[in-house]
Amino acid sequence: MLPLTLLRTAVYHPMLVELKNGETYNGNLLSCDNFMNIHLRDVICTSRDGDRFWKIPECYIRGNTIKYLRLPEDILGLVKEDVNEKPSRSGSSNRRPFRGRGDGGRGGYGGRGGGGGGDQRNNYKGSGGGRGGHQGSRGGGRGGGAGGGGQLRQGR
Amino acid sequence: MDLSIVNNDYYLSGMAALVGDIDKQLMIMLRDGRTLIAYLRSLDQFGNLVLHQAFERICVGRQYADIPRGLFVIRGENVLLIGELDFHQPIRVQLVEVTIEEILKLQKEDIEKKGRIEKLRQKAMIEHGLIDEGNPIEEHY
Amino acid sequence: MLFYSFFKSLVGKDVVIELKNDLSITGTLHSVDQYLNVKLTEVQVLDPEKYPHIQSVTSAFVRGSVIRYIQLPPDDVDTQLLQEATRKEVTQPRKE
Repeated sequence: MLPLTLLRTAVYHPMLVELKNGETYNGNLLSCDNFMNIHLRDVICTSRDGDRFWKIPECYIRGNTIKYLRLPEDILGLVKEDVNEKPSRSGSSNRRPFRGRGDGGRGGYGGRGGGGGGDQRNNYKGSGGGRGGHQGSRGGGRGGGAGGGGQLRQGR
Repeated sequence: MDLSIVNNDYYLSGMAALVGDIDKQLMIMLRDGRTLIAYLRSLDQFGNLVLHQAFERICVGRQYADIPRGLFVIRGENVLLIGELDFHQPIRVQLVEVTIEEILKLQKEDIEKKGRIEKLRQKAMIEHGLIDEGNPIEEHY
Repeated sequence: MLFYSFFKSLVGKDVVIELKNDLSITGTLHSVDQYLNVKLTEVQVLDPEKYPHIQSVTSAFVRGSVIRYIQLPPDDVDTQLLQEATRKEVTQPRKE
């Protein structure tokens, strides 16, 4: 699982971005590309010395100015689900405890512990409420809102 | 060419050499002076890294503290050094662990002290007709 | 490519690397790549008072772009060969 793949999986999740100049941007990732350019929403920008703050509804950060990104740890669990969902989509989903595309990873990956992590994200999605976050609700939860940047496969 | 066979051993050069270090706990030094200790989960050809269960080790003199930081994606160009750790290695200079509060206080004082020294140095340089280009590592954008 | 080949010939030798942040580490050259990224084994930091946290590091991968100097054992460097290789490199047409 490549670093940029992890980033793509983190779409709609909150994250902290620190730039080379020391400024930090806290917000939800809307999209990213192979250059690590990112588009964030509901951003709080903090100056290098930590004493000035700005609230920015949306911002675009050029990849080459980024020092690092900090992501919530539950994202790793989310990626593992993505990686394992692919074989089930491409045909014999009978091997799996859950059926077909609609139920993605829910059966196999209970991930019920993820309920806590999901709360921070629901204010954007809206439709993800019932399932409380990332437990196999990948396509359905995220895609429901804004078409999820090409990852919408389940056509709810 | 990242992979070649030399003396019947697989010789991986560049970033490919780090593939063997995946899932190991490593020490990563960044260009801005930070030191992270974390498990390497993934990397790519640019040296971008995914670090898991990371903590930032702040050292001031012989005192240190570890601040847990979680999951990182680091852009490769900001990395100085990636080192394999062996805590059983003999250590010449013993480190003393302190609380996070304490180390942050010490760090702030240390930075202020270094700032003052740097100002004096630059003043002296200018008086001698020399202009300092600054530290190429800590670029200011 | 010249320096890449040059360092490949020094694999297994002991070197001292000085980084742009003034850190100096010594070790055995394990591998090098086209960007002159360097991997060292048996790493020792030269000034443990200033960089105490690096004492537990055994092997290190150092990014080429942050290296200031690589100090080499003089006996392992064949200056004649280097000069010839340099002349060849300069006179030959550059391959893109």
